[in-house]
Parts: sequence; structure tokens; C-alpha cells
Amino acid sequence: MHSLHASVSAHSRVNSGIRFPRDKSKKLSRNYMDYLCFRTLCCKGPPPPRPEYDVVCIGLTGSGKTSLLSRLCSEATDNVVPTTGFSIKAVPFQNAILNVKELGGADSIKKYWSRYYQGSQGVVFVLDSASSEEDLEVARTELHSALQHPQLCTLPFLILANHQDKPAARSVQEIKKYFELEPLARGKSWLLEGSTVDNMMAVKESFTQLIHLLEEKDQETGRI
Amino acid sequence: MSYSCTSTGNSQDPSSSKKSGGVNPGSCSNGVTGKGKTRHSIRGSKASSSPDLTAAMKVKKGCNATDVGVPVTTEEELLANKTISPEDVLGLQKITENYLCGPEDNVYSIDFTRFKIRDMETGTVLFEITKPPITGGDKRDIDPNAGRFVRYQFTPAFLRLRQVGATVEFTVGDIPINNFRMIERHYFREQLLKSFDFEFGFCIPSSKNTCEHIYEFPPLSEDLIHEMCLHPYETQSDSFYFVDNKLVMHNKADYSYSGGP
Repeated sequence: MHSLHASVSAHSRVNSGIRFPRDKSKKLSRNYMDYLCFRTLCCKGPPPPRPEYDVVCIGLTGSGKTSLLSRLCSEATDNVVPTTGFSIKAVPFQNAILNVKELGGADSIKKYWSRYYQGSQGVVFVLDSASSEEDLEVARTELHSALQHPQLCTLPFLILANHQDKPAARSVQEIKKYFELEPLARGKSWLLEGSTVDNMMAVKESFTQLIHLLEEKDQETGRI
Repeated sequence: MSYSCTSTGNSQDPSSSKKSGGVNPGSCSNGVTGKGKTRHSIRGSKASSSPDLTAAMKVKKGCNATDVGVPVTTEEELLANKTISPEDVLGLQKITENYLCGPEDNVYSIDFTRFKIRDMETGTVLFEITKPPITGGDKRDIDPNAGRFVRYQFTPAFLRLRQVGATVEFTVGDIPINNFRMIERHYFREQLLKSFDFEFGFCIPSSKNTCEHIYEFPPLSEDLIHEMCLHPYETQSDSFYFVDNKLVMHNKADYSYSGGP
């Protein structure tokens, strides 16, 4: 899948994890939107479609994957039940569509996660920042497995420290330290963000950052 | 909303026609216009980190046999085969008269439990149907062909939509499925409107899975739209489901766009 952006000087960079301002990328989206308006107004035919990326979404049961993805699709979340298989959704963003394959996190399901990795271009890993020590440890093990899995190890990761609204939630800094992301994810492309369903604007922004990583990766692949 | 879907065709004989009336789950009205940017259509294959292997879940484009490079096939030929493959149905040029497999071929106990259509431009849910759970006592009375045929009633405005998201929810029995694939073909009279090909890939045993994929409406001329609205139920579809490239299920539907029964 090729990005629609014409010649963009994408600098590949090793991401240190904490999001920092990306002026280049903001300019990029403005240019793209201008391009779309130009095309539409000048009646050059229907504007070019948004690029699509296939992303896998994993995390322990109860971490909030289904709720976050449903909210991103403007769906109600009062009837969310544990996912007992996969749930594929096309999540639209301004500049791209993410085809997200969300996998249930229960023990009986998570042993099959790797069956779904092939073909993914990015990973979203959701964790409950307010979970017990024991659960956090399990989440860490799973995240490390994913980061090292042959089919995922070169892909961009968006790690969401979810449930930030809960009093017991550990801060993003604490999560970063506990999950040993600095040493273990070095050389990989990843983002760690706090999240809560109470602030979907921020969640959208986190996903937009992931999209930028996916675009960059796409261009790198295209050049090879 | 909860309705039961039944067909009134009889069960064992594969030549029993789908022409039963079926229970109409309810009409759909929608007032949305088709304006707005054309969204991205269903994707073809893409570069992945393992370029030699096919992606686990992807949607292939392909409208008719010649596009996909598949030889033309007829229903009669296929009914004579022991098993039917995806390439076999991709060669079909029109809606089948008969079901190409019986309910007993569904050895993986795949069961569709929910279906929903929403307009991608506005997010409006246009249609939703849920299969009610079957209670113990009813099992003997249920027609095994029940649920294989659905009749949809839409208003003409439906044909002006550009893109709909169709969500399907299904459960799977306790045998894992290695490669689950759906091919759905829509026709108006003898004209193929669109063919969809979606690979779900692996299905976890005893799982319940949902999948929403985006249907991009094929370009329909005004004349064709007019004809489709004037002739309810002459727009029809065949949905073929394959496990490891063997046909295990075949469902049918027909469509009215005239806004009424």
C-alpha cells in the first residue's frame, strides 16, 4: 500500500517513545487536505481514496480494546462484552483508514494471537494502567513477546496505557519504566501514550501519530 | 432488533429453489445523500513484511471471471463436482437457481448470528438483524434451511450510497478453521454488479467473531438504478463460504429498492 503523499522528505528516525511535536507531519496533513479540496473544487473527478493500513490490536482481557475501537467508530459502548475471537473493523481517520483486527485477550484466545500477525503493518497494544501487579506483569510479558515476534518486530507499535482515569492508574512514565521500553524497544518504531475513553480526542491523536509511523514505514518499504 | 430468518424452501433437496418469500426482516429507510468524497474501496493485495506469503486477511477486487482470470463456469457443472472451490464460483456468470451445497455441508458449525449495514459517510445504521438464540425444545422444528435466505427491502435512496460498512458476526464450532473465506456476488438480472472476496483466515475454535468490511458501491448508471428500483427482487446475491478452499455454506438474498413490499 502506497501513501498518497507525493514527494515527502520522511526522515526515518528511531523513536524514543514519548510523543514529541511533529511539525513536519502537521504540514503534511494540511497539504493533503489542500490537495483533496483542490481536486474536488477543480472537478478533477472524485478525490483519491485514503490509504489503508492493516493493524492488529492486542492486550489482556479488560484492557479496553473493544471500548476504545468502538468509540473511535462512534459506536455505543454500553453493551461491550469480552471479545471471544477476532473483531475486524475499518476505523476511519482524516488521512487514512485503519483496518484493525482486534483480538480477545482472554487466556483461551490469546494463545492464538500469533495466528493473526501475518500481513499486519502495525500493532496497537492496550494495557490497563490500573491493573494489579500480577496482571501488569502478564501484560509486560505479552508486550515483550509481541515486540520480538518475527512478524511484528519491524512494525510500528502504539502502546496505550489505558484507564488513565482510574485513581489506581500508573502514570505513563511509570509504565514506560516498568515495561522496560527504553532498552527493549530500542531500534524499533513505537509510541507510548496514556489513554482513557473519557478523552477520545487524545486517543484519536495517538492513532494519528501511529498513522504517521505507518506512512513513514510505507515509504521506506517503497524505496527499497 | 431481533427477528428470525426463515426460508420456506424445503430442506434436503438442493434443487429446492430459493424463490421462497422468506421473512422480511424489515425495511430500511434512509435519507442520506450520496454526496461526499469517495472513500477508499476494498483493497487489493499490498506489500507486507513477508512479501512471499499471502496476507492473512485481505479483500481482493474482481468483478467478473475475465477480470480475475478464471474460466467461466456454470451451475450445472459445479453441481456435478464433489467439492466446489473458490475459483469455481468466481467463474459463475449469474445467480444460481439452486443451493450449491446443503446445510449438512456446514461441518464446522459456522453460524451467522448478526448482520448490520451502516452508511460510512454518516455512520447511520441502515439495517440490523440478530438471530435469536434457539431454545432446546425448538430444535426439531427448525427448518435446516432456515437462515439461508434473506429478503431485503430498501428505498431508492439506498442505491445512491457510495460506501456501506457491512458487519457480519458468526460463531464457529469446536474445530479450528484454518482458512475461512467468503465470496459474495451481486447481480441484477443476468448482470454481475459486483463480486467481493474476503479471507477471514484462521478462526479460533468456539469463537464468536465479527468483521466489518466496506462495500464500495459499483458505479450504477441512472438507467440501471431506475430498472433496479422498478423490478424488486431481481437484484440478487449468492454468498459462498469456503473452509480450506472447499465450499461449506451457500446463502442467498434478494433486494427491493422500491421502498415497499
